[in-house]
Amino acid sequence: MAASTSTRLLRLTLPLVKTHGFTRDALALSVLHLPSPESHSAPLSDAAITALFGQEIKAEHSLINFFFDEGIEHMKSRAQAFSDSNGRPPSIKEVLEERLKFNEPVLEHLPNAFASLASSLSSAAKLGPFQVFSVDPLPGLRHALRIADEACYLSADTSTELSWYARRASLCAIYTAVELHQITSPHTTSQFLESLLTSSSHLKKSFDEVGLFSSYLFKSFRAVAKSAGTL
Amino acid sequence: MVREVFDSVAAKYDIMNDASSMGVHRLWKDEFVSSLQPGRRGPQKCIDVAGGTGDIALRILDLAREKYACRDTTVDVVDINTQMLSEGFKRFKKTMYHNTPQVSFTEGNAQELSKEQFPDNTYDLYTIAFGIRNCTSIPAVLQEAYRVLKPGGTFACLEFSRVDNPLLSTLYDQYSFTVIPLLGTILAGDRNSYQYLVESIRKFPPQAEFARMIRNAGFKTGKDVDGAAWTNMWGGIACVHTGVKV
Repeated sequence: MAASTSTRLLRLTLPLVKTHGFTRDALALSVLHLPSPESHSAPLSDAAITALFGQEIKAEHSLINFFFDEGIEHMKSRAQAFSDSNGRPPSIKEVLEERLKFNEPVLEHLPNAFASLASSLSSAAKLGPFQVFSVDPLPGLRHALRIADEACYLSADTSTELSWYARRASLCAIYTAVELHQITSPHTTSQFLESLLTSSSHLKKSFDEVGLFSSYLFKSFRAVAKSAGTL
Repeated sequence: MVREVFDSVAAKYDIMNDASSMGVHRLWKDEFVSSLQPGRRGPQKCIDVAGGTGDIALRILDLAREKYACRDTTVDVVDINTQMLSEGFKRFKKTMYHNTPQVSFTEGNAQELSKEQFPDNTYDLYTIAFGIRNCTSIPAVLQEAYRVLKPGGTFACLEFSRVDNPLLSTLYDQYSFTVIPLLGTILAGDRNSYQYLVESIRKFPPQAEFARMIRNAGFKTGKDVDGAAWTNMWGGIACVHTGVKV
């Protein structure tokens, strides 16, 4: 019951992010959009926001993380619709493009959201009267890794063992770069994504070839050593 | 029983609180009130139940005025005990809020507040600090809190709770059952009342159970973890529970 009320209010807050950002103000206004007769006449007080979503910056983090969760759900539903209409799973590029489209309405607020996540209260240290914030890159990294993993799953990626990790790590790096690019140049996002995916596949091919050549070289040395009686 | 206990300790209540908690109850109350940020988004109508000595009310009004320049936030102090109320009234006489509409003192039972004096859907904030464990029926107090709060209003309770850390818990038990009644005898000449206060703390439901009771009354809370539905202070010696009437 508790979780569903918070989720309901967070869902009502998402359309308000466009105008109010990922802020406690946006959360406060969510109750005005409840269907009648539940609708309130005034926004939630700060104490109520704290009670439902956490103190200070934690309430903003609840909203940002909910936006990320909804982004994953959006990827899933779009991938399902694509599979139904085309009879095949979408490509990595198509899945990532859908996720990037989800960012578009709130693009101008994303830098603040990432800054807020990176400067979590837990990483703040107090030196006398001064509050010193350290940068915590983990929430941003977790966000990109989650998207990379989901994109691989939705595009029916078949990599196994070490290549399973390599594939996700490379996609995480690509998605992070493209999302940062999207914030500054939203109109060229698609081209940038395509160029990075192409470079990545070239890089993978080069690595595979280097690996193959090394294995031949190793086999040759082994054979030479055997014929010389060393082994 | 409760009325007798508080009648006997009213005059020295704050001295004893200071002595038994080594002044820490002031920090807890400060943190409790500052977490509620009264007056931040405009004036609020608050009710402080079991707030006889006016500790919380004064903090609410001071914080709203000093931090948010809000002079229209009001607090209605309610207590079942007239002795405690007169202590609070005396304290407020020393402040700028005396004889202003910002504060009022009313005798009332937290379990059945008068509907004429405290109508439905009236308050933005309901506070009860170190008071709910002394009530016979906690669900009845919560029902009344739900009734008097407006939709969107917040219930906030500061109360002694359960200590999770076994080492801290042992130390705390030793201190509570030996030092506090002894201090009661020395400073207030009343060992039994302070023995009762310590025992009542142990009988109060633990954090998760009290959060469930708050939800049963109709409030919405955060998840059942420290930092959401409740916030522990000093490892759980004291704890703030909050709920919202959505």
